[in-house]
Amino acid sequence: MEAGTTTSHADHGAHDHIHPPPEGFIRKYVFSLDHKVIAFQYFTMGLIFMMVAGSFGELIRLQLTSPTGAIMSHATYNTMFTMHGTAMVWLVLIPLVTGAAGNFIMPLQIGARDVAFPWLNMLSFWILPVAAIVLFSTFLFGGAHAGWTEYPPVSLADGTAGALWCVAIFLVGISSTMTGLNFLVTIVKMRAPGMTWTRMPLFVWATFATALMNMIATVALSDALAALFFEHVWNVPFFDATRGGSAVLYQHMFWFYSHPAVYIFILPAFGVISEVLPTFSRKPIFGYKLIAFSSMAIAILGFAVWAHHMFPGGLAPWLQLPFMILTFAIGIPTGIKIFSWLATIWGGRLYLTSPMLYAMGFLITFTFGGITGVFLASVPADLHEHGTVYVVAHFHYVVAGGAVLGFLAAIPYWFPKATGRLMDERLSKIGFWLFFIGFNGTFFPMHWLGLEGMPRRYASYAAFAATNPDAVFWNRFETAFSFLMVASVGLLAFNVIWSVRHGKLAGINPWGARTLEWMISSPPPYYNFKKIPIVLDRPYDFDKPLPYRNLDNDVDPYPSPIAAVTGVKPVGAGA
Amino acid sequence: MAQVSAPQPKQVRFAGLGPGFWPVTAVLTALSIAFALWILYAPLDAILPGESHEVTDRAADVDALFKFMSVFGGAIFFYVSGYVVYFALVFRHRAGEATDVVGVQVHDSPRLEFWWTLIPALLLIVLSWLSINVWYKIQFGTTAPALTMEVVGHQFSFEYRYPGLKGSIYSTTDAMHLPIGRSVRILITSADVIHQFWAPEIRLKASAVPGLVQNLNFTPTAPGTFDIECTEFCGIDHSLMTGKLVIESSDAFDRWLASEKLKVAAAPATIDFAKGDAAAGRQVFTQKCSACHALAPFSQRVVGPGLLHITDDPAHPKLVDGKPPTPENIGEILQNGFSGPIGSMPNRTANGLSNTAIADLVAYLVSLK
Repeated sequence: MEAGTTTSHADHGAHDHIHPPPEGFIRKYVFSLDHKVIAFQYFTMGLIFMMVAGSFGELIRLQLTSPTGAIMSHATYNTMFTMHGTAMVWLVLIPLVTGAAGNFIMPLQIGARDVAFPWLNMLSFWILPVAAIVLFSTFLFGGAHAGWTEYPPVSLADGTAGALWCVAIFLVGISSTMTGLNFLVTIVKMRAPGMTWTRMPLFVWATFATALMNMIATVALSDALAALFFEHVWNVPFFDATRGGSAVLYQHMFWFYSHPAVYIFILPAFGVISEVLPTFSRKPIFGYKLIAFSSMAIAILGFAVWAHHMFPGGLAPWLQLPFMILTFAIGIPTGIKIFSWLATIWGGRLYLTSPMLYAMGFLITFTFGGITGVFLASVPADLHEHGTVYVVAHFHYVVAGGAVLGFLAAIPYWFPKATGRLMDERLSKIGFWLFFIGFNGTFFPMHWLGLEGMPRRYASYAAFAATNPDAVFWNRFETAFSFLMVASVGLLAFNVIWSVRHGKLAGINPWGARTLEWMISSPPPYYNFKKIPIVLDRPYDFDKPLPYRNLDNDVDPYPSPIAAVTGVKPVGAGA
Repeated sequence: MAQVSAPQPKQVRFAGLGPGFWPVTAVLTALSIAFALWILYAPLDAILPGESHEVTDRAADVDALFKFMSVFGGAIFFYVSGYVVYFALVFRHRAGEATDVVGVQVHDSPRLEFWWTLIPALLLIVLSWLSINVWYKIQFGTTAPALTMEVVGHQFSFEYRYPGLKGSIYSTTDAMHLPIGRSVRILITSADVIHQFWAPEIRLKASAVPGLVQNLNFTPTAPGTFDIECTEFCGIDHSLMTGKLVIESSDAFDRWLASEKLKVAAAPATIDFAKGDAAAGRQVFTQKCSACHALAPFSQRVVGPGLLHITDDPAHPKLVDGKPPTPENIGEILQNGFSGPIGSMPNRTANGLSNTAIADLVAYLVSLK
């Protein structure tokens, strides 16, 4: 009998390894090993810091309503834009797009019961609150001033606050590297049987490319931060030109991470868009292979363009050219993605739900941000635009209009899977329009203000306003519109909290989507899949029966959006 | 696996590429062409009312490149956003329609994908070519400049040095001057942290990096007075690091340079600390020093240390250079500057203090308790 048991164990593999769910509040909700709970922890923390960092952003906008600075001293303003950028990048975007979205969606989509290393996953998360405490403790030491890039030598004047800033970001870097490793192993080793590389959902492809970048790039950031910390604390002259160091060296190391970091934010958003558009267009994603391939191309090219942040800043002249041309080259895979998404919604049957509105808004703002990126990549044009609010406009169109809008599309889309209830559609749609209008009103005028000569990181702009009288009007215009984004985020927080208890019941598959997470109950059970499903094809063919065998639940072979979404009774509904 | 038997979903049907596809495409094309013509032929004042005209030969090159990108970038944006809105309107599921109808089940179109890879690639190759041409002119287009001058960044102002002029033009009120029609090379570096030199009308900028010398090359073409701005964050008063650039005729420039030389020659030769006037020194402190130094104990740094107890601080009985705080030694730092772990203090060429001002300032600092 013993031998027989062993044989069946080997035959059924993972089937026999369903652990009982943990008991007790601490093991269940605080130090949980469950990727879904960890994703929820990332989500809550990211949303809270989005409000904190967003309010720093609002203080920046209020200051600029007057050309001499309306509400605070230069020193406070410098701290505000430093902390706005630092917190948004490392405590909001990285945790939300990789931590929350990646953790919740990716294991479900590949038919896995958890990530490869659940303990590591828990550790990755719990490093972040520590990093956040260290980062915000810089306020006790006068605050960091030199912008989210903290270029030396100017950042060396920050003293203890600057050293603590290095520690905080170093910790975030450790967390990212571990998450990257974890996701990489999970995707390579734990896909359900039959899920070949070219059958993976596109969000998984995006997470794979992101994990690769997270693992490789973050090491350069850690080096830069360690060196800066040494210079802060022990006065080791890595970046001091008078003692044989180089001020430009830090910029190379910093951007070797921080340019790929932009793609670390945006690739998961690309993945979300590639899931949302087919579902609500009732159409296969157009050009699956090219979209997957372009994610990898962007990830690889993303490592070879960092110095385009430094065109006026001390590169050898000939070195500007390869970085310019490689940066142009990134426009090609990005263009392929945009055109493929456009072709995906062509000829579809479009359900304009809130995730779809966010995704379509993403297409418009991200395309615009991509185009202004080409303007910045051209060396001669960059020598005009660098260091102005034109750059601020560009990266907010890419990061806020791209990564954040993509994530905002993911929230109402996967919320019913995570909680079992739909978010309030009307509030989500109002939230979209507030964000879309507020966002464009805030950042669009920065394009011409920058070209006219308004520099970024100016606590006051009296000299610029004296020669450009329209500057004050447009800055007040931007500030007014920025509050629409505040309203939108507030509405989102209310909607999330309200809908957890009062939202309409979602059922297994409210959107009629076809990826694996929609085949299990909502919210998913602790072990996700009782039986590991078998995958026969890609998940995007809406006219064919579902390409899965061995599912836990009875599901409609041709899922269609439920009445809660469409107001129409579905035909042939299985439940 | 008990699957409920359901009929295979029907696909949506419509003629051609969809109702109104070609008229919409025609409208978007017309919009793109109109936008292109506007960018290419409208005066700059109409396109960007606040944008100043270019005043150098290189600035004109940069603007031409910018227009090329605007024409094609604008067209791509009009098509993408136009189609997104059009598809949302024409293909949307209307209330009450059946939900078992799916979109057209196409997976790809190799021909289409080939073209939308190739056309952007070709455009970017052309753009690379145009960019490299302008880049070459910026970097190597000026072989023997008629005027070579230096710009040095300091916290928080620019210092301008001209050939044949002993000392520098260095104050927040004095302007940098350039002559029309002479090719200029500006060598740019920094005395402390990284700054960036930019006048929007030149359309070019370069970082002032400590330990590196960068250059900008161009020939001014039109007269006027313009803003100079620091565009790399350089410390607490970064936003006050602005200046003025005067571009004037070749003759006017020569007259100005000659008058500056006379001014330098007329300055007194030695510093008489005994004649220092603390009240006048206080004024100098407010203008020149207070951006970086507070009237507070040593540890309350703004950029440099607080100077309230420069002569009577038991914790810091010596100056930062290790010498006792006598008027002569304080005066020496003001003249020669200082550089060390705590930071760097501009020297006299940089801080632009006259002998009288140094004497007054020292008298004021010594009087503080």
